[in-house]
Amino acid sequence: MHINPKQEIRRSKFAMFGIGMLLLLLIIAIFGPLLIPYQPHSQTPFAFEPPSFNHWLGTNHVGQDILSQLIYGARTSLLVGFSVALLAIILSAIIGTSAALAGGLYDKIVMRIVDAFIVIPAIIVIILVAAYLKPNLLVLILLLALLGWQDGARTIRAQALSLKELGHISAARSFGASNLYLIFRHILPDLVPILVMGFIYGVRRAVFMEAGLAFLGIADPTIVSWGMMMHEALDFCYLDVWRWWLIPPGVALSLTILAVTGIGHTLEGALDPRLRREANA
Amino acid sequence: MFTKQSIITYIIAFLFILALNFFLPRMMPGDPIMAIYGNEALIAMTPELKAHLIERFALDQPLWQQFGAYLLALVQGDLGYSYYYNAPVSSIVLGRLPWTLLLVGTALIISTLLGIVLGIESGWRRGSRRDKSLLTGLMTVSGFPDFFLGILLLIGFGVTWGIFPLSGAITPYAGLSGAALVLDVLHHLFLPLTALTLCHIGASYLLTRNTMVSVLKNPYILMAKSKGLPDRAVRYKHAGRNALLPVVTRTGIQLGRLVTGAIFVEIVFAYPGLGYLTYEALLARDYPVLQGVLLIVAVSVLIANFLVDLSYSKLDPRIRYAH
Repeated sequence: MHINPKQEIRRSKFAMFGIGMLLLLLIIAIFGPLLIPYQPHSQTPFAFEPPSFNHWLGTNHVGQDILSQLIYGARTSLLVGFSVALLAIILSAIIGTSAALAGGLYDKIVMRIVDAFIVIPAIIVIILVAAYLKPNLLVLILLLALLGWQDGARTIRAQALSLKELGHISAARSFGASNLYLIFRHILPDLVPILVMGFIYGVRRAVFMEAGLAFLGIADPTIVSWGMMMHEALDFCYLDVWRWWLIPPGVALSLTILAVTGIGHTLEGALDPRLRREANA
Repeated sequence: MFTKQSIITYIIAFLFILALNFFLPRMMPGDPIMAIYGNEALIAMTPELKAHLIERFALDQPLWQQFGAYLLALVQGDLGYSYYYNAPVSSIVLGRLPWTLLLVGTALIISTLLGIVLGIESGWRRGSRRDKSLLTGLMTVSGFPDFFLGILLLIGFGVTWGIFPLSGAITPYAGLSGAALVLDVLHHLFLPLTALTLCHIGASYLLTRNTMVSVLKNPYILMAKSKGLPDRAVRYKHAGRNALLPVVTRTGIQLGRLVTGAIFVEIVFAYPGLGYLTYEALLARDYPVLQGVLLIVAVSVLIANFLVDLSYSKLDPRIRYAH
């Protein structure tokens, strides 16, 4: 593939915004807690304080510092987003390439399962499972990853199938290369752009779902999350507190999702030759 | 064969949902009655009731007989009994269903139509200023989580300006009828509908736009143009119509997303549909209702997907030959 994704990304403002935004969030998530004097869970007697010098975003209904919750929330979102997407794309790669190369019955069975999971609305399954299991962060990550690899596996399989037919691969095969060797030496390197894109959309999906579940109130209550903050703040939206309590986590969440979308969309355009820039009729 | 493949797919999906509904409560530690019926059942529990429930679910039988009893009940339309509402789950769900259908159905129609029209306009002159601003605007809006968009609308139009009601689907105890009732329903519907629609235009818009771009390269477009047809005719009759197919296939997936999106939007506006019911059931740990709602929603999404699959192969004969 003669595409230069780096160049495409550098040319797109949307993608540059996304990368900048994600870097900023990463920095905040890693170093923010060192700078903030409050723990997100430590309560003060001062509830519903408006923003002040001590509490830049005020305090919530039990007197917790909202800014520190916001910063720790970035940690949760990014941690869940990245680890779910990583696990899911690894699963997709293993299952997609093995189905493409092995073919036959294995391929058929795997693809039927993949298709079945694509038509099942994942969030419903997650709500049901989460309502019973009351998952902690690790279980939540595993759950989201288990329900998030199917789309990627389908794309990767399709791409691996067409790669399989290429000359250099049948040449390698005729020299006696095993399936595993082919996957690692020839197929995976060519799949990198698709894997990156799958990863990015995986991050978006996971960030979104984590926030959604916390908003529903079924995530682990001991973990600070943007969704949970909004869930708590919504009960008080008739007060003025929404300005510094409800809007910041919502904006942070939207910016995160937007940033990831920006990168993904540009990459997708770079990878799909039909969408590449050319003269319009 | 296309349809045979997809029938197998849907059967697997259906069985998975059934199995999840059946095994999840029964695998929980502790008393399965508690897990199947939730906290409220304990309050109502008498030895006779307990004996009845054990018999009803065949809980003293081996697992496969329990599964048989579960399936038999489902086939008879029995989704269980909620001790929280003191009513059969099926009647609770049926009571809420119209509101979700209204919200999701309207949102699906409006967002798909708008998405298609905007996508055609955008793809027709790709790279123009109109295309760029539409693209940026719609990508931004669809990046918002639906519940946050709902919250923004609620705070703006509901709390601050007071133009639209904050919650519910009709004004309670107003005793409205006729045109006033319709207006009242629309008044309550407006904000949740706007939130849901805005969040979902993006998908059909982007798909139409991208398909337009490749459709426009076909020779028949050049032909139509060189015949001297007006711009609008080429854009909609020749290019637009052919850009529709992928949007149709995605309708099923869109529907699934809309339904789950509706769950969140309904919660924000306390709109009394299935999503809000899910939320209430979660808060009350009313497991029978939770299971019933999710089963109904999942199965309806599956059926809708299946119908779309079928209609697609009818719409585009190439699909039938290709497999």
